Amino acid sequence: MEVNRRDLLKLGAAAGAVALLQGCNKLLEPVEADPLAQKLPEPREVQPELRLLNRVAFGPTADDLHSISHLGREGYIDQQLKASQSNSLGMNVRLSQLDVVQLEPSDLLDLPREEVIRQLQQAGILRAVYSKNQLQERMVDFWSNHFNIYSRKGDTAFAKGMQETETIRKHALGSFPKMLDAVAHSPAMLEYLDNSENAKGVPNENYARELMELHTLGLGGGYTQRDVQEVARCFTGWTIETRFMRPQGHFRFDETTHDEESKVVLGERIPAKSEYADPSVYRGERDAEIVLHKLANHRSTARFISRKLCRYFLGEESPKWIDDISATYLRTGGDIAQMIRPLLLSKDLDKAPPILKRPFDYMVSCLRVAGAQTDAGEAVQKHLATMGEPLYEWPMPDGYPDKTAAWSGTMLPRWNFAFALAAGQVGGTEKPKLNAAQISVLANAPVLSQNDELASALCLASPEFQWR
Amino acid sequence: MRADWWSCDGGGRSRTAHLERPEISRRALLGTAALGAVWWMSARNALSQVAVRPRSREGNTLVVIFLRGGADGLNIVVPYGDGDYFTHRPTLAIAAPRNGAASEKDRSLDLDGFFALHPAMKDMHGLFHSGKLAAVHACGSGDKTRSHFDAMSVMERGAFEGSSGSISSGWLARYLNTTADAAHDKPLRAVALSATMPDSLRGAPGAIALETVSDFALNIPGDAGTYVEAKATLESMYAPSKDAVQSAGHQTLTVLDTLNRLDLKSYRPDNGAVYPKSDLGDGLKGVAMLIKAGVGLEVACLDRGGWDTHFGQGGSTGLQAGLLSDLSACLAAFAADLGTLSSQVTTVAMTEFGRRAKENSTLGTDHGRASVMFLMGGGIRGGKVYGKWPGLREDQLEDPGDLKVTTDYRTVLGEVLEKSTAATAQNVFPGLTAGTLGILRDMNQRMVPTPASSLDG
Repeated sequence: MEVNRRDLLKLGAAAGAVALLQGCNKLLEPVEADPLAQKLPEPREVQPELRLLNRVAFGPTADDLHSISHLGREGYIDQQLKASQSNSLGMNVRLSQLDVVQLEPSDLLDLPREEVIRQLQQAGILRAVYSKNQLQERMVDFWSNHFNIYSRKGDTAFAKGMQETETIRKHALGSFPKMLDAVAHSPAMLEYLDNSENAKGVPNENYARELMELHTLGLGGGYTQRDVQEVARCFTGWTIETRFMRPQGHFRFDETTHDEESKVVLGERIPAKSEYADPSVYRGERDAEIVLHKLANHRSTARFISRKLCRYFLGEESPKWIDDISATYLRTGGDIAQMIRPLLLSKDLDKAPPILKRPFDYMVSCLRVAGAQTDAGEAVQKHLATMGEPLYEWPMPDGYPDKTAAWSGTMLPRWNFAFALAAGQVGGTEKPKLNAAQISVLANAPVLSQNDELASALCLASPEFQWR
Repeated sequence: MRADWWSCDGGGRSRTAHLERPEISRRALLGTAALGAVWWMSARNALSQVAVRPRSREGNTLVVIFLRGGADGLNIVVPYGDGDYFTHRPTLAIAAPRNGAASEKDRSLDLDGFFALHPAMKDMHGLFHSGKLAAVHACGSGDKTRSHFDAMSVMERGAFEGSSGSISSGWLARYLNTTADAAHDKPLRAVALSATMPDSLRGAPGAIALETVSDFALNIPGDAGTYVEAKATLESMYAPSKDAVQSAGHQTLTVLDTLNRLDLKSYRPDNGAVYPKSDLGDGLKGVAMLIKAGVGLEVACLDRGGWDTHFGQGGSTGLQAGLLSDLSACLAAFAADLGTLSSQVTTVAMTEFGRRAKENSTLGTDHGRASVMFLMGGGIRGGKVYGKWPGLREDQLEDPGDLKVTTDYRTVLGEVLEKSTAATAQNVFPGLTAGTLGILRDMNQRMVPTPASSLDG
């Protein structure tokens, strides 16, 4: 990514002029916050372009500001929703060197697991920092946590790369039902939530429960413990190909372990094989397909996903927007781009309460705002792990927490990263190209030292820059 | 020449670390060390005003270990006296202590003729029989969702059921608001030994997450002047009692000053205690350091995940055995390291729910209801399994086949608070009805000696 300093300075000046012309930028409206732990900062002026790039993207760069001023907000959002911009040669070359991007899961098995995890994290950070399709990467982060995979369980690490490309990134701004279906068939999820072992007899309920609680309906979304057990029976036999001389590491339906008796899921009866007049037309795989279809078209799913999207982009569960996004979900059959477009174009986004950056958001925004060149290798990953969010390493199926309270335990690892980055002391990462004055504009934080390097670091370490 | 990397931890030590440029010369390194000596002197003066406060006399430390994922209590404190246990678990059952058909290493370790510990828990078996450790079986909350996240949230908020929506703060936060130091903005009253803050501390003023205790240092590249300027600017930017981030930053800086006065890097556990090399081991070691340093630690929270054993749980060996072996060795090391200080430290291990009585077809167990809690240290009347055993016969189980909850987990925690601290259980757990199991002696009447501060620098 080539940052043009002249452009940036011009933009900084232009932005200042815009602010002056407007007389007064809209102040953030005070938000009723949880008095106990979600104490939010005082309302402060935020330039709408910066706000937009903090929500739609992983923080602003000069290029992004340029795009917005060139395309206008609507043009920029539509470009991002299409996610069809070709990426820089530099990023593509870096990615093409990674086995996790290039190879099939079965070929990766020759590599040590630690190396695979390192490459997965590297690819994730590189894309978040340098992709021109920033909104797509934000959605990948969202869905990667929604459909969380813990890369240290079993062989999930080897399958996560393929899952990310063929399920998450492919559908991140597309169809939720298609993504749900692809994830259900993905070896990474089949292994992570044990469905690859789920067989008739006493089924393993792990995937069935989280499918309804975390992936679709949400807790209280209208299912019972009985439904969990019945859905688990529907998914018996959904497993991963491991047979000799077959293409390894892909979905396989094993009819010998499938429960062929009748089931009742959310009130709908699914007939047994024995009830078919012609048993040869029976497909056991269909039981779970019916379940996935039912869940994907359920009102509770529409609401649950809408609530999470609201929190992610708006920072609060606005009833108006939850209604709006749910309605779009049901009308379009879960078209993600159509669901979020009105929200991203809305003035409500400009007035929304601040959201505390998670460590990944924070690190990526530092690298972007500073115009840093990084290989996103081990040194960067170690900083991220110390901050508490190593990619694909959250063990529980709910993904990294999105609550402010969870992440405001300490600021120290963030500061240490900011100071190291500004001084060019993060391994595999060059000293930032931008100076403190430029970083100050993008980070929307004051210059507080005569020492340029220190001033840059302090912008990134400031309380202001912890929020998006 | 420029110092390549400075790590000034204020207490007088400085070190060069993370030298990423191989070409750096030996001379340059020596130069850095010399600069370090200068900084050593000035830092010493600057920080010498910060005194480590003596540990408050009434102070009892509460250490809460949360076993996340739903630990299978039935294979931890094994009810071998209940014949149905073996019927439900044809492959996963842990052999009875005197089962001649099983090899000795596979047999559970007898506790009281009815219950026995998993064979991987030799250390805890020793603690139990020396009266330091107690267990409570068939306890849990009223949450019947069998959802990890709902059940954890209920327990961390100190509620009985999920519907108790009026309770939004954490139970430890409410406890901390009742203690004598509640009004003071003291650093290190409450610590989570993790990168994230658990819900149990939600709303606790001044609580901090320490991913590490011994490496808690502000690393500023550049010379000593840069360090001073950077830290001073951070102090001016992060004001106390503002928003969540500013408070956290302010707290971080205060804690930094306190920790940097202690020589934690050279910490050696007492009494030959050896902590396992695990997150829990590191965490408990950090807690022991803070307790011995007398910084006024009232609450410490630790997490141990991995208990969600739907698949391949294992029996006497395997997945769960590995977790139990770690837990057991960690608790033993912690108890040994604390030595006589153990009487002022109450440690609780809890989990969000237990697991189905009947094993599933993938050598694992699914989400259930009641599980076990462990209590160790200050005031605990150990050597006993508390609670009322509900039985494992089909008609004794809760649909769809789970061990019934006969003890409200809040009763146990409430008793810990009332007898080892000055708190009133009902203030921390609204709606809790009175009643105790008699797990603790009342410690409030007793004067406790101020601990020797072996780490006080």
